[in-house]
Amino acid sequence: MSLFKGLKHWFLDPQFARKKQFLRSLEIFQDLNNNELGRLVQALHARTYRPGEVIFEEGDIGRALFILESGKVDLTRRGPGGETLPLYTVKPGEWFGEMALLESLPRSATAAATETSRLHLLYRTKLEALLQAEPRIGVTIMGHLARLLSTRLRRATGAFTASAARD
Amino acid sequence: MTESRRSGSAPFLTVFIVAGAALYAFYLVREALTPFLLAAAFAYVVDPAVVYFEAKGLRRSHLVVMGYLIALLIGYGAYAGLKTLIVDESERLSANAPIYLSQIQKFVVVQQSKLTRRLPLPPKVAEHALDSVVGSGLERLQSVPSDILGLLPLLAHGLLVPFIGFFFLLDGPGGFERLIQTAPSRYVEQAIHLMGEIDTSLGNYLRGILIVAAAIGLASFLGLLALGVDNAFAISVLSGVSSFVPYLGVAIGIVVGGGMAWYQFGTISAFFKVCLLFFGIRLADEILLQPIIARHSVHLHPMVFLLSLILGAEMFGFLGLVFAIPAACILKALIQVGWSWYASESGLQSFAANGESIPYT
Repeated sequence: MSLFKGLKHWFLDPQFARKKQFLRSLEIFQDLNNNELGRLVQALHARTYRPGEVIFEEGDIGRALFILESGKVDLTRRGPGGETLPLYTVKPGEWFGEMALLESLPRSATAAATETSRLHLLYRTKLEALLQAEPRIGVTIMGHLARLLSTRLRRATGAFTASAARD
Repeated sequence: MTESRRSGSAPFLTVFIVAGAALYAFYLVREALTPFLLAAAFAYVVDPAVVYFEAKGLRRSHLVVMGYLIALLIGYGAYAGLKTLIVDESERLSANAPIYLSQIQKFVVVQQSKLTRRLPLPPKVAEHALDSVVGSGLERLQSVPSDILGLLPLLAHGLLVPFIGFFFLLDGPGGFERLIQTAPSRYVEQAIHLMGEIDTSLGNYLRGILIVAAAIGLASFLGLLALGVDNAFAISVLSGVSSFVPYLGVAIGIVVGGGMAWYQFGTISAFFKVCLLFFGIRLADEILLQPIIARHSVHLHPMVFLLSLILGAEMFGFLGLVFAIPAACILKALIQVGWSWYASESGLQSFAANGESIPYT
């Protein structure tokens, strides 16, 4: 038994297991099984951004979802007078830029690393390839995105209605 | 504080100039780079097998070593099983090659004189016209052995390609990950987009053509063996290898295999049996393999297809024929991605979706 364990340990890739563990901890991928998470790890591209480095800029055409593994990323938007308006600070385990998976629209905000940050990119064409090869992975991700989009839209509608009622 | 990344328009021109210069440099040193190119193609085709097991959490290095050991065992087993056949056949072929050539020449001369009599032209004119056609054909036929010898340096890469391919396989996607890490952050998404497009079209084409070549080679070997045609192994290898050029494998199988059967059995029906065999193989390829292969492969216009093959053969010979279509796939992906960037960034692409005016309920 210990020989089997030793062999298994010798054959298994600890880095790959760590990446899978990280993905499993994210809500968007929680419904995926071990093999599907393995396929997803292979579809992601990792990159480390230096502090101050811009990940994408408002107006750029979005083509990828970004998942933050470590570090911090600031999302900002340009105000009417050209000033920078802070929107949100992304923390490890959170993701952003997800709308690029649905449509190639200009980004609505600028994302910049505020400290050394490790990000995983899920590119739209990779997701489309996964949708064909492993439909369950694609459906799971798309289902989460649809729910997220719906929640945000309800919140925005509520805020708009409240604002209109105040006026 | 964020670093500034906007530097005017996207540097498409710079990219194309650099790519053009790199291609020209590659063309100049193509002889030295041939084994590396073949090894890269080999690793690229084999990689999905490694990726399949890697997705289960296994170490890439161990998988590659294991894969090589298993391939070595299978290769040795196949060689041991086919050794007698291969040795016998090559000895018989080298002994009979001059006889085959002289028989073909005799046959051509007889057919030429028959045709001269039948052509509705003055005998002198018909004879002169046929002489020039047949003469160049025979000249080409006599140069076939030296042409085949010209491919021998490629066989010398037989050991070098898997050796270099081993390191390509060990590295896996590492090279691309390093490229992403060093690329300016503004172009990371574009780089992944481009690589994704190239991978989709190139991978499907290369793997598809490899499956077709192996299937045609194996089916023709078994078929020729069943028909009792001499040199079945050599003909099937020739047919399989030439299948890298679309339709050429079956055509060569019919001409060489049919000719061999006709010569061996002395009847035209033997030739037609081989023709039927290769038509059957072509049909099976069309019905069984092509629907699977063509589902995700690139759709090149037939003229582009033909032009790529001619240009490839003209510039790089046999290797050019093999890599012409993959190169066209890469070029097509570059153009598609370039256009997609240009269209989306310049506002040519519409983002409107149907039903956007219906309230959210």
